[in-house]
Amino acid sequence: MKTADAVVIGGGVIGTSIAFRLARKGLKTILIEKGAIGGATSGSCDKAIFLQSKKPGVHLELAKASLAVYKQLEHELGESIEFEQCGGMIAIESEEQLSTMKEFVQKQQQAGIPIRLLDVYEARQIQPVLADHMRGATWSELDAEVNPLLLSQAFAKAARRNGTEILTHTEVQGIECIQGRVAKIKTNLGEIATETVINAAGPFAPAIGKLVGLSIPIVPRRGVIFISEKVPPILRGNLLCAQYIVSKHLAHLSENYNPYGIGLSLGQTKSGNLLLGGSREFVGFQKDVPPEIYASIAEHACRIIPSLRGIRMIRTMVGFRPSTGDGLPILQESPDVEGFYIAAGHEGDGIALAPITGQIVASLVSKDNQFAHFTQHLTLNRFAALL
Amino acid sequence: MDEMIICRCEEIPLKTIRKTVQEGACTIREVKLQTRAGMGICQGRTCRPLVEKLLPSEKEQAAVYQISGYRLPVRPLLLQDFFKE
Repeated sequence: MKTADAVVIGGGVIGTSIAFRLARKGLKTILIEKGAIGGATSGSCDKAIFLQSKKPGVHLELAKASLAVYKQLEHELGESIEFEQCGGMIAIESEEQLSTMKEFVQKQQQAGIPIRLLDVYEARQIQPVLADHMRGATWSELDAEVNPLLLSQAFAKAARRNGTEILTHTEVQGIECIQGRVAKIKTNLGEIATETVINAAGPFAPAIGKLVGLSIPIVPRRGVIFISEKVPPILRGNLLCAQYIVSKHLAHLSENYNPYGIGLSLGQTKSGNLLLGGSREFVGFQKDVPPEIYASIAEHACRIIPSLRGIRMIRTMVGFRPSTGDGLPILQESPDVEGFYIAAGHEGDGIALAPITGQIVASLVSKDNQFAHFTQHLTLNRFAALL
Repeated sequence: MDEMIICRCEEIPLKTIRKTVQEGACTIREVKLQTRAGMGICQGRTCRPLVEKLLPSEKEQAAVYQISGYRLPVRPLLLQDFFKE
């Protein structure tokens, strides 16, 4: 039987980041992934790291801490992940959105985010592709981007270099506990003796939790993204629309007129492809997307950027983001099963928060309390009323 | 032979695909995520059968067909062609 100091379940950006940090601390680590590294949620997302849109408080502080890790990550991982602090914009389409966004900008400025409200003339100087009818935009130099595909691979490679064994196409079938403590993992390829298991299975974390009798309140939130042919650079940084902010922060209010959670998110990769989203829906793990959703995303995007009409789409992708409901992940050792850690539920912020999550979880495992100021807000118990 | 282009859209040569398979990739999804083969304008319509032949074993190739589906659109489409009207 294999043995390990720690077993990480899930080979997305979160799991690979955690495995890298654990291995760097000298733990004999095994990472188990049921499919391909970075092949599910972490391979079906866009590349933006938005800070200006984060809710002041824990959420924003986590994102800032993660950005700080990002700034030296290419050096740590020894390869390019196409990280760049390229700036980000939120485009404002109506008077109603403008008044909401004025308040929003004030709140974000008070929280210390460098964010400016631009009139339409200034906004079009940065993004000349914006439609005439736009009312303005916000802009922040703080926003960044990364290539999520390279990120998972680079974390996995660095983890491996530090001694992590990576088992892909391997499914966890059972977790054995002895006297309330994790003892063994059973997979389709054999057993692993270990006293530490990290559940970094993203939207599949509840199924892993069940193996130790733990109820984890995470549900998949489906997001659809178009990928375009390669085109010459048309954008500076990444772009959201104010409707996206409304859809994200005031979902309960917007549900009536925006059932698919449509909001623009647009970025252009280094290779020239546009990543154009998106929708936000709770429909389980349903991969078949009704045509109305593609139509809604396309019409919405072309209203804000008319020249998108004539760009060819070569692919669509469907991602399932792990949603806890309050926008924050669960990062905690289970109160009931010693040695079983939960590190999932980042929803759409997995890419932004992966670097700091690796450090936080490695610190939880070594029990050094270094990130208590974060983890006290990221417990499973905060959902106690729901369980 | 090694320099032969397998994915024409992204210009990925045989040696890159072989190296990725040697390093443990055993599905078309993994080869794609790690090399960009199949990510170009034709979306693997040309290189997919070639890459599948380079995968390690028949058993794993069988698994590939379960894992790797096909995504919309079947041919590149203008964004306006997705509109309702």
